Amino acid sequence: MSLFPVARDATAAKRAPASALPPPSGCWRLAWQWPGSGEASLLISRRSALANAGLLLALLVASGVYLALGSVHLAPRALVAALVGQGDALAQFMVIELRLPRLVAAWLTGAAFAVAGCLMQTLARNRLATPGIIGIDNGATAFAVASLVGLGVSLAPPAMALAGAATAAAITFGLTAGGGSRGYRFIVAGIGVGAVFGAITQLLLARVDMDTANAAYPWTVGTLNARPPGALLVLGVGLAVGVVMALQLSRALSLMRFSEAIAQGLGSRVARRRWQVLGVSVLLTGLAVAVAGPVGMVGLIGPEIARALSCRRGVPIIASMLAGALVMVLADLVGRVLLAPIELPVGIVTAVVGGPWLLWILLRPHRSLA
Amino acid sequence: MSQAQLATPVPRLAATWLTLVLLLVGVALLSVLLGAGDVGPTRALAALAGGGDPEARFVVGSLRLPRTLIGVAVGLALGVAGALLQAVTRNPLAEPGLLGVSAGSAFAVAVALLLGASATTLRVSAAQLGALAGCLCVLSVTRLRGVGSDPVRLVLAGAAFSGLLGSLTALLLLFDQRAADEIRFWVIGSLSGRRADDLLAVLPGLALAAAIVVSIARPLAALSLGERVASGLGHRPGRVRLLVIVAVALLVGAATAVAGPIAFVGLVVPFAARALAGPDIRRVLWLCMPLGPLMVISADILSRLLVAPSEMPLGVLTALCGAPVLVAVVRARRMPTL
Repeated sequence: MSLFPVARDATAAKRAPASALPPPSGCWRLAWQWPGSGEASLLISRRSALANAGLLLALLVASGVYLALGSVHLAPRALVAALVGQGDALAQFMVIELRLPRLVAAWLTGAAFAVAGCLMQTLARNRLATPGIIGIDNGATAFAVASLVGLGVSLAPPAMALAGAATAAAITFGLTAGGGSRGYRFIVAGIGVGAVFGAITQLLLARVDMDTANAAYPWTVGTLNARPPGALLVLGVGLAVGVVMALQLSRALSLMRFSEAIAQGLGSRVARRRWQVLGVSVLLTGLAVAVAGPVGMVGLIGPEIARALSCRRGVPIIASMLAGALVMVLADLVGRVLLAPIELPVGIVTAVVGGPWLLWILLRPHRSLA
Repeated sequence: MSQAQLATPVPRLAATWLTLVLLLVGVALLSVLLGAGDVGPTRALAALAGGGDPEARFVVGSLRLPRTLIGVAVGLALGVAGALLQAVTRNPLAEPGLLGVSAGSAFAVAVALLLGASATTLRVSAAQLGALAGCLCVLSVTRLRGVGSDPVRLVLAGAAFSGLLGSLTALLLLFDQRAADEIRFWVIGSLSGRRADDLLAVLPGLALAAAIVVSIARPLAALSLGERVASGLGHRPGRVRLLVIVAVALLVGAATAVAGPIAFVGLVVPFAARALAGPDIRRVLWLCMPLGPLMVISADILSRLLVAPSEMPLGVLTALCGAPVLVAVVRARRMPTL
């Protein structure tokens, strides 16, 4: 949701109560009186609010379908009964014990990937600069696999994945520090870094015996079927922290879309804000990879949908979160149901859907990518 | 134009070439002598000379020698294909692996395996057809406005394309366990377990590609001066481009069919060759011939020794040394143009 807190200073209160002014076109105004001091008001873009409501509704419907379909299809009535703890014991077990945790994992990972993608795109001012493309996913995957196949370190996968994401981001940004984080060179350098980490993952898998390699394999394609215990909880906490921080940064983020000089002129501490944005993005990516492996395409598709639906003025963080969760739920649903009993990893589904989209964005003539 | 880009004198170029060839012979010898098994260098040397015990003779004659020769063929094909593709797209980052040509070839092989093909020759033609389709995609993309003139954007599109094809290949493998087992190790790129038959199956394609390269080297050099100059000199740019694409497809298809998709060789080898020989494509091609096998065989030796007794996929090593070169090219303040 793009929120535009209007200055809460005394002069505004003296001029006229904000509630008396007509809101700008396309916006709703929420105004209230602070006890003691002046008045505060919030402008809420009508379009963004509607988009968020629509996305939330779609997410709820998709989640219902997700819980109902599978190896055994449930009728809506049976699904509701199972959810409230009544009816068939088998259906209850299936919905509560098997499908619900996986649904939650899909929500959280999708939201985390999409918010991370949205932040990184804004930071680099390029729609293609998602963590998946600039190699951060691969770094996290390599480290998570390293912890799984046991290289003398027994840190939990989330910690290792986080370390990997940070390492990959540091290398990519360090390599392109001279040229700035703008433009395609930055992205191609990221592709190079991602290739190295992808190779390291393969190398790690080649070193160990077949069983360990098979256990670690899901991380290399992206699946919701092999969630390490505990990683989901860590992701939930991390996502809450990350989204709150991102919302706090949303004002700086909407300035970041302009040139650095303009942002600085408008009072943003650009360098510090960039570090914060990068940090949140890396945090979310690392924790999400620890749960689901590199499903980086969601980081491209989610913000893309959010941006198409929301108001153009702000950076659509909440909408990205909802859209990412929606994409992840739908992709995993398709992967589970389409070719049953074969289960398609969610990473492959998103890649097959997102790849053509990415190509279309890249090759479409006469359009700016910023 | 800087000093380094001016043409190197021919005698010095010949000396460089000779040094590289000698180096290649040395490395090839090492590749025959060293290995993961318990046949040491002295026993292998005796076997190579014609004597030695039966075990050493078997290991050297049936395992290591074919493997080394296949490495030579693969390196030659990928290095030359990279140089050709870079010349024809005028893009220093155009690499068959990065642009998705190898991925197209791998996808075609996966489809062929899924449809029940198992003969090696069929696999080679499928790989070459897939590579041709990939090359045509690349060529049509470079004709798009705004993309062809931006080397980095082309690479991005290539990365997206190979990612997509890789996922589709993985998708196909889910359907068929037999194909999956057959293809899983091949798809990473490796020279292990290849036999002399595999080499024989790709030789016709390589010979045809060599003939094409010899016939188009001159027009291609003219084309690097611009389309108009090339037409003025009596060449037909459209036909040259098409022939180059066919040659690249034959080379990459052959290399992929025998060793799996191996990225970055086609980037690193022409990069080094240009640094040694300057921008003239004919000289670059001469140097690519020893440099390609040199890189592939060295990487293969390392892949055998680093994690002995198991083996590391060859593609991993080429990516490890190729990606830094990619970053270096991209970081250069002025992107070199071709």
